Parts: sequence; C-alpha cells; structure tokens
Amino acid sequence: MGAFFTSRIVSDILIGAAQGVLVGLIALSLVLIWQSTHVLNFAQGAMAMFAAFCGMTMLEHGLNYWVCVLISLVAAMLLGGVTERVLVRPLYGKAEINSIVVMVGFLGILESGASSIWSGMARQLTSPLSQTYFTLGSKTLYLSPFSLFQIGSALTLMLGVAALFRFTKIGLQLRASALAPEVSRLLGVRVNRMLTLGWIISSAVGAFAAIIIATSGSGLFPSNMDGFFVFGFIAAAIGGLESPGGAILAGLLIGIIQTFVADYLSPSWVAFTPVLILVLSQLVRPAGIFTKNTTRRL
Amino acid sequence: MKITQILLRLRYSSLGRLVLALLGTVVAICVVLLVSAQSDTYIANAGAMTIAILGLSLLTGWSGQVSIGNSGFMAVGAFTTGIWANHHQSSPIIISLLLSILTGAIAGLLVGIPATRLKGPYLAGMTLAFVTAMVPFIQSLGKLTGGSGGLFFANLSSPSWFANLSGDPQNFIVANYRWAATVSVVITGVACYFMSNLFASRAGRAMRLVRDNDVAAELMGVNLGRVRVGAFVISAAYAGLAGSLVALLSGVARADNFGLALSIEILSLLVLGGIGTLSGALMAGLLAAYASTLIAKLNALFGLNPYSNLGSNSQGIIFGLLLVVTMLTAPQGMAGLLKKISHLRARKEAE
Repeated sequence: MGAFFTSRIVSDILIGAAQGVLVGLIALSLVLIWQSTHVLNFAQGAMAMFAAFCGMTMLEHGLNYWVCVLISLVAAMLLGGVTERVLVRPLYGKAEINSIVVMVGFLGILESGASSIWSGMARQLTSPLSQTYFTLGSKTLYLSPFSLFQIGSALTLMLGVAALFRFTKIGLQLRASALAPEVSRLLGVRVNRMLTLGWIISSAVGAFAAIIIATSGSGLFPSNMDGFFVFGFIAAAIGGLESPGGAILAGLLIGIIQTFVADYLSPSWVAFTPVLILVLSQLVRPAGIFTKNTTRRL
Repeated sequence: MKITQILLRLRYSSLGRLVLALLGTVVAICVVLLVSAQSDTYIANAGAMTIAILGLSLLTGWSGQVSIGNSGFMAVGAFTTGIWANHHQSSPIIISLLLSILTGAIAGLLVGIPATRLKGPYLAGMTLAFVTAMVPFIQSLGKLTGGSGGLFFANLSSPSWFANLSGDPQNFIVANYRWAATVSVVITGVACYFMSNLFASRAGRAMRLVRDNDVAAELMGVNLGRVRVGAFVISAAYAGLAGSLVALLSGVARADNFGLALSIEILSLLVLGGIGTLSGALMAGLLAAYASTLIAKLNALFGLNPYSNLGSNSQGIIFGLLLVVTMLTAPQGMAGLLKKISHLRARKEAE
C-alpha cells in the first residue's frame, strides 16, 4: 500500500491536484463573471493579487495569518464591487473589444500600482501550516498539512459557490439576471445589484486563490498571478466559459498534466502545455467541451 | 489650408499614395539630418513602434480581432535578426529585416491558424497565453538566444558615404545616430505605403466586412478563415519587422523586454492614436518614443524620485489610465478627435 502512495505516478497526481484546484478556482472566478456580464476579466489575476497585498502585508505588522486572509477577502469584495460599478458598467452593450481593452488597461494600472505601493520584490508569507511533506516509512508522500488544506479549502469553496447558486434565493436571482435580464427586472429582481454581487463573489474567489498561491509558491509580487491567470483562462475556455463545473474539472486536469509533463518530459515545456491543450480542445469543439451546441440564425 | 487638402486628397489614388509616402519619407529624412543626435534616437524608436502599432491596427481596426500577443512576434523578429547578425556579420541589414518579416509571418501562421478560429475574448486570451509562454521558452533556448542575459550583436553603424554626406565625417557617433534614424524612417515609410494600399484594396474591404458582419461577408463569397488568418499573418509580419528594427537599433535582444508589458503598451498606444488609422499609428509611435522623457518631466514636476517605487512605475500607471479613460470617453483616439475638430471647423466655415 505504501509503495503505491509514494510511487512516481501518484506523487505527480498529488502535486498536480494541489496546483490544479488553484487553476480551477481562478477558472471558476472567470466563469462567474462571464456568465452574468459577458466580460472576460483580464484584470482578474491582478485584482486578486492587489487584494492579497492589501491584507497579507499586515503579516509584517504582527497580525494573525487568518485575520490577514479575512482583510484580503474584504478588500477583494470591495475592489470587485467598485470595479463593476465604475469601469465595467459603461461597457455593457458595447463592442467586445472595448471591454477587452479596458480590462487590459486596468491590469496594467493594478500591476504598476502594486509595484509602486509595495515595491516589485517578492514577499515570503509565513505559512500557518507546515509545508514539509509527510513520509511513509523511508519514502515521501507528496502531501503536506498545507497542501491538504489547499485542496480541501478550494473544494469547499467550489461547493459553497455551487450551493449558493443552486439552493438559495439570491442564487436563483443571480442565475435569473444572467439568463434573462429583462424578464428578471420585470419580476422584481434588482439586476444591476445582482451583477455587482456576481463580481464581488468572483473577486473573493480569485483573491483566495492568490493568497494560497503566494503562500505555497514563490511569494507575493505584482506579477505573480500572470501565469496562473493564463492557466485559469485556458481552463475556463476549455470548459466553454459558461460551465463552472467544466472549468473546475479542466483546471484540475491542467494542473495534473503539467506536473506529468514537467516530470516525464522537461520543465521548459510546462508553459506551452496548456496552450497546446487549448488549441487541441478548440479544434475538436470550438464552443468548449462542456457546453451544448447552439445554432445561429440569420 | 488648400495645400493640405490637396495632399489629403492624394491618398485616394495609388499613385497619390506613393507620392505621399515618398514626400513624407523625404521630409522625415530632412528632419533627421537637422535635429540633434538625441532626437534622432527618439525618431528611430518612433519608427519601430509605429510599425508594431500599424500591424496591430490592421488586425484590430480592420479585421476586428484583438491580440495581446504581438510583442511575442516582435521577439521572434528580434531574435531572428540577432542570431543572423552573429552568424553572418557582413550581410546587409535588408536581409536581416526580410528574414525577420518572414519568421514573424511564419510564427503568425502557426499561431493564427488555431487562434483565428476563436473570437473576441477567446482570441485575446489565446494570444495572452502565447506571449506569456514565449518569454520562458526563448530563455530556455540558452545556446541560441543567450538565455535570460540576452543576445548581443553589432548594431547599426553608418557607412562611410553617409558619414561624409551627413556633414561631419570625423564624428562617427553622430553619423551612426543619423544613419539609424534614416534607416528607421525609410522602413517606416515603406511599411506605411504598403499598409495604405492594403487598406484601400479588395482584401482590406473584405476584412472590414468580416469585422462588421461575418455572415454577410460569407454570403458575399469572402473566405472567412482565409481573411482572418491573412490579417493575423500580416500583423505578425509587421511585428517581426518592428522587433528586428528594435534589435538593430539597440544591438541587443532580451526576451524580458518583449513580455506582456510591451503588448499592453502597444495596445494602449494604438487606442490612444486611433484604431485602424495610419495617422493614429504615426502619432502613437512618436508618443511612444517621447513617452519616457515626458514621464521623466512629469516626475520632476511632482518632485518624484525617478528611482523610487512610485517614480519608476508611473509610466505603467499613466499608460493604463490613459487606455481606460480613452476607451471609455473617446474610443476613436487622437485621430478621431482630429477628424471631429476638422469637421466642426468645416461646418463653421460653411455657415
């Protein structure tokens, strides 16, 4: 039994799954916004990074790790809400390129802004849980208390968002205003408020992922979400941008495949792997693997 | 007023466009020879940026596809030039430039065939993925590209006939600056001429139709895939040329310099200048070249230390703000504003 859990394949799957849940969270955060407002938030990673900076720099002032996480999440919700009200609202109904350009501009502002407030140097965040891997006998099992927390909390968050959308009244209103804004308005749903709420939830999900990434990986710095945002976008696109479940599954797969590529082929191929997966999946099903076919009318 | 109107009317015929391009290039060369060596370096860089912006302008303004990956194609051009220059020291620069256009176009084709099946945000995200994968990829080819330290090679140096012509044959440093700016201006002139012809051609009209209504375009017999990929390849070829020029001007190609930040800068400048216009690209190119001095002046005005956190990042913040504000308030950019002003003036004169 021990030999199985410490084998090369299982190790790769464990490491990949820990990465993959984070990619899945970012993908989920993108899908939440796309579903309701049809804006692809190119600044999503940067917003999450900025919010993480707002809270996690308090660690240096001696605050508890979990209090800092809470501050970051509140900052993320504020940032998400304000962004939707100020930047995104004027874009509804405009050409697609307008929203892409504005969000890319916002990405630039946030990254340069974070460098100018907190400097471009990476900050190490002291982890509240141990990051040393467990051992089974003499061999390493590629799980640590922190990676268990990482996988567990990400899954809980995903289930929480799913439950919010499926079982609560607010979730119903959120879905209704994404599906048929006019009808919802007639039925008394405050659609604008729901759109803002969608951005707030998405922003918090992204910020949580950013905090975990900064704690487990190379520290917190202004461009530390660039790579993960790309992977998250690819996961969301493979799932078809409309399907939260598909996005999470695709994120997990991307994490695991990347670890296999790094282990069995070469680490320098890791960056290109998701691009190749995206190209292949788009050639097979341009609208995404997990979406239904739609017809266009003239 | 009369002369400018006549000149502007020239752009409607192909001979007229040739005359305009020649005239513009000659005037620009005269400016290059008259101004200081410092201004010459700005003009040389303005040429390179104009070409990059022009490529994106075609893709975004005419075929309606947004790319955040053009700095990746610039990297392809720059490294082609660098690798070629190190292996064939004596080959003329025109060969480096043509090779970079070719490799840029090939890279554009490889990325474009899958990418142009995507639309809107999917395409933009795919090109974003391309550019973020490109920088570590180039750095991992350490033997060929010099890794993260970059690739060094000989930059443009003035031939002796030009040094004699430009006045002071003894002062080779100034002659080198003048020569670099002249080369850049000539290449920019050729690039603008080609682009203006493309805008006026059948292919250009097909692109606009695809942008505005792809279903109508298909019914008119336009091959959607071919037009989209074609625009993508031309845009990548322009980016390759721009990258080659940037490399030749500085004598170094470093992968970091062609990352996402450059793509965002090109996109910002394109929007500021005016999407889909030649005049917008030219204005944006000049703005790009003078941006760092303007920002330094702004920093000095507000008493910011240029090496402090805020001072060294003010350029990024200002570009981002300009991009967002322009898109929200005047999406046509500077070219659009100029057009509006001239329309208003014409109406006033008529009254």
